[in-house]
Amino acid sequence: MILAVSIMAFALTLATIFTYFAIKSKDLVKAAIFSAGQSAAFALTFFLLMAPDIVLAYVAVAVGIYTVLLLYVISKTERYEEGER
Amino acid sequence: MKIKDTAVGVMIALLLLTVVAVILLGGTAHTPSTGIRPLAEFYLKHCINVYNTTWWTSSPAAVTSMLWDYRGLDTYYETSVFFLAIISGAALFRIAEVKLKAEEGRGREELGLSIIVKTSTRIIFPLILAVSVSVALHGHLNPGGGFQAGSILAVGPLLLIASFSRRYLEDRLRLSRAKCVALFTVGLVLIVLVAALPLAMGGALMQNQPKYWSPKSPWGSLTKIGPLELSGTIFFLDIAELFAVGFGFTLLFLLLSMPEKEFRRLLGL
Repeated sequence: MILAVSIMAFALTLATIFTYFAIKSKDLVKAAIFSAGQSAAFALTFFLLMAPDIVLAYVAVAVGIYTVLLLYVISKTERYEEGER
Repeated sequence: MKIKDTAVGVMIALLLLTVVAVILLGGTAHTPSTGIRPLAEFYLKHCINVYNTTWWTSSPAAVTSMLWDYRGLDTYYETSVFFLAIISGAALFRIAEVKLKAEEGRGREELGLSIIVKTSTRIIFPLILAVSVSVALHGHLNPGGGFQAGSILAVGPLLLIASFSRRYLEDRLRLSRAKCVALFTVGLVLIVLVAALPLAMGGALMQNQPKYWSPKSPWGSLTKIGPLELSGTIFFLDIAELFAVGFGFTLLFLLLSMPEKEFRRLLGL
């Protein structure tokens, strides 16, 4: 129980860090990859919360399909975000 | 810039602290609960209870039995909505296959990513297919099921499109858009047939195992064929859902990966 909770805490902290970098990154491709990392951390948490059904759908959709769709959308526009200097 | 960042950091930390404090002080009632709720207990007790079959579904996977038995119609409507969404998306892209092929003159070999990516995709692709089929076939016994298997299956063609090209999928593997629509429709027709068969044979619509108020289902006796556990209709519905979801997504990816320039010219934009 303690081990599961501490791994969950680690995964969710990792997800927060990934989210922060996904928001801050000016390179949109990198942001999409960070978002996939956040999804992987969430998948680990779902597994520890004993929801394997969710994990199977979530990994495929959030890490695979969602990321590639984002990359496809980025390929239609510019890769680098212009920020204020 | 520095001060702003620090302020944002402090605010996020304060927000996290507040949320933790609220949860610790019991502001969200019973989450996370340590025990099993009465509703979950009911489903866990009854879904594979061979001694008292008034409520059972003959499937040990509680989530799958809820999806395809207790709440079968919900999943049925979900699949219909998915079907309508994909079909209306495909209707936007209606142009002749031949015309598009004539427009694309480039060779197949020069397309795609580097050889490292291509080789690793070649290794991973059969593994993805195997995992997705096994998730679908064991959906009524293990965690998993039709939708999960379908979305895993859709990752395979997506990888191929990204690392090779769309034409590799359409020409070499012969998975054209028309074939995708056909396989997708086969999945949905199978679901409709399995849902309607009990109705034709004196049961209720979408019935798997008979509950105490309903007439006897023809699938009630079909929990096993030899050593194979079938769980009534759930086994067939999982396979049909694999086809519907997997090839629905694949069709969507094939449409999305069409070269925009040629597509625009064909539509006269």
